[in-house]
Amino acid sequence: MSLFPKVGRNQPGLRVTWTLVVAVLCFGIFLHLIPFYFMIVTSLKSAPEIMRIPPTLIPENPTFAAWQLVFQVSVGSTILRQPLSQYFLNSCLMAFGTLALSLPITSFAAYANSKLQRGRGARWTFLFFIGTLMVPAAVTLIPTFLLTRNFPFPVPTVPNIPGTEIEFPVIRTWNTAWAVIIPGVFSAFNFLLFKGFFDTIPNSIIQAARVDGGSEFNIFRRIVLPMSIPVFAVAAYLQFSGVWDSFMWPLLVIQDSARSPMSVAIYNLINVFMSSGTMRPQASLATNEQIRQLQEAGLSWNGLVVLGILQTIPIFIMFIVSRNYLLKGVKIRGLK
Amino acid sequence: MAEQTLAPGASVEESQPAAVVEVKLTRRSRIEKWAFLIPALLFQLSWGWYPLIVAFLLSMTDARPRGPISWTGFQSYTRVWADPLVGSAFRVTLIYAALSIVLTFLIPIIVAILLMEMKPRVMRWMMVLWFLPLSGVASTIMWRYVYNTDFGFFQWIAMDVLGLPRQGFLTSADQVLFWLIFPGILMFGPGLIYMAGLQSIPQSYYEAAEIEGAGLWRKIWTISLPRLRPIIVMMLTFAIIGSLQVFDWPKLMTEGGPGGASRTVVMYMFDLLNSLRYSDATALAIFLFILIMAITITYRILFKEDPDA
Repeated sequence: MSLFPKVGRNQPGLRVTWTLVVAVLCFGIFLHLIPFYFMIVTSLKSAPEIMRIPPTLIPENPTFAAWQLVFQVSVGSTILRQPLSQYFLNSCLMAFGTLALSLPITSFAAYANSKLQRGRGARWTFLFFIGTLMVPAAVTLIPTFLLTRNFPFPVPTVPNIPGTEIEFPVIRTWNTAWAVIIPGVFSAFNFLLFKGFFDTIPNSIIQAARVDGGSEFNIFRRIVLPMSIPVFAVAAYLQFSGVWDSFMWPLLVIQDSARSPMSVAIYNLINVFMSSGTMRPQASLATNEQIRQLQEAGLSWNGLVVLGILQTIPIFIMFIVSRNYLLKGVKIRGLK
Repeated sequence: MAEQTLAPGASVEESQPAAVVEVKLTRRSRIEKWAFLIPALLFQLSWGWYPLIVAFLLSMTDARPRGPISWTGFQSYTRVWADPLVGSAFRVTLIYAALSIVLTFLIPIIVAILLMEMKPRVMRWMMVLWFLPLSGVASTIMWRYVYNTDFGFFQWIAMDVLGLPRQGFLTSADQVLFWLIFPGILMFGPGLIYMAGLQSIPQSYYEAAEIEGAGLWRKIWTISLPRLRPIIVMMLTFAIIGSLQVFDWPKLMTEGGPGGASRTVVMYMFDLLNSLRYSDATALAIFLFILIMAITITYRILFKEDPDA
């Protein structure tokens, strides 16, 4: 509300510019909504209609066949090794487990760095916390992968304690949900988000509470926390959608299909269908009897889109919950 | 705008004096300070910095999934350096990063500036619609369908609407990188961090500029952009780092094809990892790290001065 003058907005030049701005914004939103429309519409189409050129904008005979087929597959079949609900619970465990550990630990550290530390100590702690943002994840990928097996030894065989026959005690997180949760507990970007926010809380408020004799933890809980709901909402939303959608890391560290998250299950299912030639029924190479049956029943892109919708819903809910806080929660002012 | 500035501390940002009154913490507070810091310090040390040190050590060994490990010095580095596929992977990555930054970096800044002009109520609705999330899996499915060479939407536009010959899209070695970036251009939107930054610019700056007779562009050029500069510098750093280690998107869209034309460095690293060449994969990642550091440091030196300082 600042670029356009408050008076004299009716000048012809300004009105044209204003209309243009509004038009560009509306067009952008329109483009952004297309995928959502496309997903829903495609999930309601029948298989032959999906292959048609030009594509139909409104399904001719809306059918829930794809939803039913996906439901069949996800309740019990050998294509998906576990029922879809199992994968869903695994994903929930990972996402909420990460949030439960990460939000308190990261926000405590950011608060202490912002309000309790001073001078050079604060500066070095800050750099220690955010320095890893500059390191590409690719560099630490393999070491982290090895460390999930025998923390803190990045080697396959654990050495013995010198002079004894006993192995060093190690933490093994590989092939459990912990392997996804633990490396994500401290999030450098969320730290930056929290620190930026806490920096804008006036010191006088905290000082006043201190004079009243509150412990630092109580000051945080009773005064800072209620003020900081927006930043917690943003951090939780970003981290939740990150963990929920990540699939390369779970694919790498979780072997057991009973512990895989939904993203991995869907990725595998998509690969099975893509490679079986589902997308061109006449050229189907499906060797798996079950997949062939599904294709004959009309499963195609419509089924994959249903899976995509299912994968989106939890992120969508988190977004709806945190939407009003998005703008209020972000107060990053650059890396200095 | 008024209700956004009510967020805690928003107005204080500007008035807070640079020199904060020195606070002496009590003994108990000091203990609590460390209680706050230690869990995060431990996690950041063991899962943030320690893997980085391990990466350097690992790249100088012949680490395997099983069996004893011995030091090999810089052998894996020379092996990776001599690999012709590494050169092509770096070429693809650099082209991809340059293209994506040139074509998509400015868009969120401009859209954020324009979006902040809307009335608060309208803006809130526009934001909700714009930030509606779509999972990565879902958008991959959709774009693969759109790019499908037989019955995809783009092929229909190219052949039936524009009358062009049959296009390859993701299966054409010359075009694949552009088409990978294209969704980022088409799905343009505002950057949340820029919007938050714009919101903290005091209204009085714009009012003063208005009295001086500054027009629309002049206000953007002399107030909005300079005030956003620290954020832009930070986001550009992240964009450089992010685009140079791009992996998920091309992996899901093309698997590196056709013929390696979209195989980025990190994708090739995964290929090495899948053939269990741990040390070579890590050495390759460290080459990428060095490249990223070199680019980021050069660029930070170029953009060092800060209008707020």
